[in-house]
Amino acid sequence: MADSRTIVIDPVTRIEGHSKITLYLDEYGKVEDARFHVTQFRGFEKFWEGRPFYEMPSLMARICGICPVSHLIASAKACDALLAVKIPPTAEKLRRIINIAQVVQSHALSLFHLSSPDLLLGMDSDPAESNLFGVIAKNPQLARDGIALRKFGQQIIERLGGKRIHPAWVVPGGVSEPLSIEDRDAILKTVPEALAIAVRSLEWLKNTAERFHEEISVFGNFPSLFMSIVKQDGGLTFYDGDICFVDETGEKVASHLDPTRYFEYLGEKVEPWSYLKSAYYLRRGFPEGIYRVGPLARLNICSQCGTPLANQALAEFHELQPNAVLSSFHYHQARLVEILYCVERIEQLLNDPEILSKHVRAIANPNASDGVGAAEAPRGTLFHHYKIDEHGLIKWVNLIIATGQNNLAMNRSILQVAQHYVHGEKLTRGMLNRVEAVIRAYDPCLSCSTHALGQMPLQVQLIDRAGNIVDEVCRS
Amino acid sequence: MPSRILILAVGNPLRSDDGVAWYAADLLCRRLSPDEAEIIFVHQLMPELAERVSQTDGAIFLDARRDGQPGKIVQTSVIQGAEDMCSAHMLTPAQLTALSYALFGNRPEAFEVSVTGYSFAHGEELSQIVKNALPQLVGTAVRLTKQIQRDHRENGAGSMAASA
Repeated sequence: MADSRTIVIDPVTRIEGHSKITLYLDEYGKVEDARFHVTQFRGFEKFWEGRPFYEMPSLMARICGICPVSHLIASAKACDALLAVKIPPTAEKLRRIINIAQVVQSHALSLFHLSSPDLLLGMDSDPAESNLFGVIAKNPQLARDGIALRKFGQQIIERLGGKRIHPAWVVPGGVSEPLSIEDRDAILKTVPEALAIAVRSLEWLKNTAERFHEEISVFGNFPSLFMSIVKQDGGLTFYDGDICFVDETGEKVASHLDPTRYFEYLGEKVEPWSYLKSAYYLRRGFPEGIYRVGPLARLNICSQCGTPLANQALAEFHELQPNAVLSSFHYHQARLVEILYCVERIEQLLNDPEILSKHVRAIANPNASDGVGAAEAPRGTLFHHYKIDEHGLIKWVNLIIATGQNNLAMNRSILQVAQHYVHGEKLTRGMLNRVEAVIRAYDPCLSCSTHALGQMPLQVQLIDRAGNIVDEVCRS
Repeated sequence: MPSRILILAVGNPLRSDDGVAWYAADLLCRRLSPDEAEIIFVHQLMPELAERVSQTDGAIFLDARRDGQPGKIVQTSVIQGAEDMCSAHMLTPAQLTALSYALFGNRPEAFEVSVTGYSFAHGEELSQIVKNALPQLVGTAVRLTKQIQRDHRENGAGSMAASA
């Protein structure tokens, strides 16, 4: 790239973690390449070596303050595999509840707190006003709804897990405590309001999206594979099922894959310019094996949600584009469909006659030396893979995180947006906002995916053909 | 009707002196009855706390700070504002009270009481100098609680800001 021109956006704002973007220009000042650099590193896979396996769910939850429950679930499932036990049915249902409660609060954070300023105030608005106060000024009910949905998810996590962040209630073999009747009833009381918010927010978003035809056409609107865990009957799930890949036509490329054999179909490539690895579908190679995970992928793959309102919303979602929904702009709507599903499903699970059973944990010693746990986290499929020694101490850990699986797609999306909006050597507010907004559509969690802490400031650099930085914008 | 006081202990007890507010809150739970104040422990201030703050007559934020002489306690009135927030999940007391007002129409009297830490390294122990400041921190929180209650009883809500 010595003879190219480059734009660098550093740091990227309103996402989880630290990153920068470099845009390379050709001799005519047009964008010819883009790179999304994740500039933080943590190394969780390495520093748990030597720890007792049963500590892993609680330790792994420390990867992230936003989605600790996803790590709890995947980790506990990997530990279940080490114990070689089938956990009690009630424990599984309780795990499902806490997992989708977290999906609600995480999706609400992404849509209402991080992305709604773009959608409500417009892509050309002043970044200083593109925050929660800007949303309040324009649509206070939307701001209150976002906070209420976050609270809905968090209070469930707190009631089940004992605390909102890093709960230790999900353990190898099940959960540590049964659900009390008081907590069940208290959660059930909050369902109607959450449901009403999800329904009206979805209506708001569908109306709002009509103003963004141009963005929809270039925000990651390209053919790719999509991957998620799905029920055997094609139903939406966040807890267990088979891995399925579909292509841009909506056709299944591979289905009924065993999540515990992920290494047979997923590869990861390390690039020298980022701490975030890029996952790809092995049979297509790198980078042709590009695939997307998360809400967009899940809804492209599943044929039904299994709850009435979400089923209806899914049918409308499938109408957005023929075959598969390709534009990553539609991650936002997919999140709201999933929130709707999660709230409805939480109500179903809480009304299950077994849900108050006291039998919530299977006790065993390790019976296997290798265990994989996979689940759907808010941002996509999450894999935890552990190997232990004869004393139950961790010998090896591998994590495949959703954001890493979206890395190739995020890079390609940035390129598509930049090629459409960036012209010349000067960065404009609208261009910068859109480059950031397309990243936010994926809701990347760099804390998890590089295994880093903190918010995500944005840096964009524009570099010329001689390698000189001709423009640079930093937001913190 | 008793006044509603919310004490928010902010910090991370796994980072030495950053957890000083949690230690103080533990002691405050013994000094103040639930009728006198509700005490909550948080790692950071989140937008979800806005409604809870809006339902109080007074909010007292206890926290550690980095600048200044280690062990020094600083009490300030929280001035609503700082609407240039960027992060949606880490607010200052000023941002949180502003959010409380903007969303729910109530801005309680609010004070921040902070202690300058000496060590923020990994660890569950306070440094000696911050440990020595703990009684004063607790005493300040108790005094402010009583002060807000008295003021609320005598003058009604809203007068503390003017006098603070």
